[in-house]
Amino acid sequence: MIRVVIVDDELPARELLREFLAADEDCEIVAECANGFEAVKAVAQHDPDLLLLDIQMPKLDGFEVLELLDRSPIVVFVTAHDEHALRAFEVHALDYLLKPLSQERFQQVMERVKRAAGHDRQPVAGLATSLRAKPLQRIVVRGEDGAIQVVPVSRLDYIEAADDAIRIATSGTKLRKQQPISAIASQLDPDRFVRIHRAYVVNLERIEKIELYAKDSRVAILRDGTRLPVSRSGYQRLKELL
Amino acid sequence: MATTRTALSRAALALYGMAAVTLAATASSAFFLWARHASPGMAVAAALPPSLVLGAIALASRFLCNALPLRSASRSSIAIGHAGSAAAASGLWVLTWKSWVPALNAQIATQHLDPDYSLLFALGVMLYVAAVAVHYLVLEIEALREAEDEVLRYRVLAREAELRAFKAQVDPHFLFNSLNAVASMCGSRPLEAREMAQRLADFFRLILRLGALERITLAEEIDLVQRYLAIEQVRFGDRLTTHIDVDEGAAACMVPPLLLQPLVENAVRHGVASMVEGGTIDIKATLEDHMLRIVVDNPADPDRTDARGEGIGIENARGRLSAVSEGRAMLQAAEAEGQFRVVIELPR
Repeated sequence: MIRVVIVDDELPARELLREFLAADEDCEIVAECANGFEAVKAVAQHDPDLLLLDIQMPKLDGFEVLELLDRSPIVVFVTAHDEHALRAFEVHALDYLLKPLSQERFQQVMERVKRAAGHDRQPVAGLATSLRAKPLQRIVVRGEDGAIQVVPVSRLDYIEAADDAIRIATSGTKLRKQQPISAIASQLDPDRFVRIHRAYVVNLERIEKIELYAKDSRVAILRDGTRLPVSRSGYQRLKELL
Repeated sequence: MATTRTALSRAALALYGMAAVTLAATASSAFFLWARHASPGMAVAAALPPSLVLGAIALASRFLCNALPLRSASRSSIAIGHAGSAAAASGLWVLTWKSWVPALNAQIATQHLDPDYSLLFALGVMLYVAAVAVHYLVLEIEALREAEDEVLRYRVLAREAELRAFKAQVDPHFLFNSLNAVASMCGSRPLEAREMAQRLADFFRLILRLGALERITLAEEIDLVQRYLAIEQVRFGDRLTTHIDVDEGAAACMVPPLLLQPLVENAVRHGVASMVEGGTIDIKATLEDHMLRIVVDNPADPDRTDARGEGIGIENARGRLSAVSEGRAMLQAAEAEGQFRVVIELPR
């Protein structure tokens, strides 16, 4: 039995998927979600085999949902936007359905899904991050309690490395995310965010001043008083921008 | 303007000069013949050199006419300028006569010319005035042609803006998503599906019809917008509510077609669609002191990612508005505290 989660912010679109799936005896719908938040929750709760995922949705789009998943169901995107097709395959989505949906095409995709189910799959989460549109406009984080935070990059103060994870400092709080700092640094707008140190990426707008504190070592002082170390190459990068 | 004014072709100027010389020569020869002073040959021989001088002056008076345009220069400065110039020109013309006639008399023994120089002076002034009149006539015709060109250029610009706006008018994904909704309803609610298909067809037919018109009433535009919103309502369900309030005077105002529709489409696509819980699109139109004011309000997620499309939509609307109103209309878009607002002000 293939256990399916349907995600689409439009009711008629969900109804059509429901109808197509009802004709397939091997499928069972375990959840229907109207937005990305519900989708992340439903996947964590039901551990489905298949995620039928819309891309354009409020708050969290389809790609951001994938980034937040800690399990890796088979993903099939369902969207009216064919310009996302390439990216969909890059995040290892199994397939891609265009609206308006064709039942024949849907059945073909379900055959593929059944062949793929049970095989080991490449995890989708994580990979999605590196393939999001650049430069990154917002960062999605899932807290320990499962709550999802969406942080627009304009509200980002700085990011610090913590082992193989990062801590994102934004208006006084720090959010932890499982992702190497190099991955996020390469996605941020290079004109607004600078890697001032191996372990720090800072929002240029937050820097109050740079102080020399020992021979060859400097410190960046942010508007809120935070002091961050600046390496020699980090200082070079800063100088080029300022 | 200045470039085309001086760009009168050399051939035209030469023609004008020749005409001036011929006119001056004919007039002065006739003057002698009428006074029975001379034979026709002698009269023409006497008249030709001064006429050449006056022809050159007449040609040059074009510069003065350019400097004293009929439309903008004051009456008195035109009168004084040309009176002075006419006196100088005619003085020069009489001077040429005075030096040429004795020389001619010395050459030809059989006839003796004794022109009345004060009468010649008067003739010079009249010829100068005629020359200036012709210049002003030509300048006026040129200005008219220029104005026509301007109107034509402006029309082409307006047409282009219209075309651009029309192309950007309807997002194809609106059609794809709506057709998906039709497909969805076919199974369980075939009557509604049929109705939705009908609504879509009506909407697109109306877009084509209105788009071909120069101006439509705001009431017609609002009707189009309502049809659009009714289709979106099926897709968005409870997430989309709309509130439209158009006062009577405003409804009768003429507006360029499809001005509001793309803005309302923006309000759905980038506004209500960006909100998990949805929201209300509020459209208000009032007419006060001959000023039509239209306000479109909608909630929008400040953190939404795709803000490029809406910018283009607003730019298009602004461009069209200024093209049709010759810059007298205004469109403002502002976003604050999760609310997006577009204000249009269009003089009636």
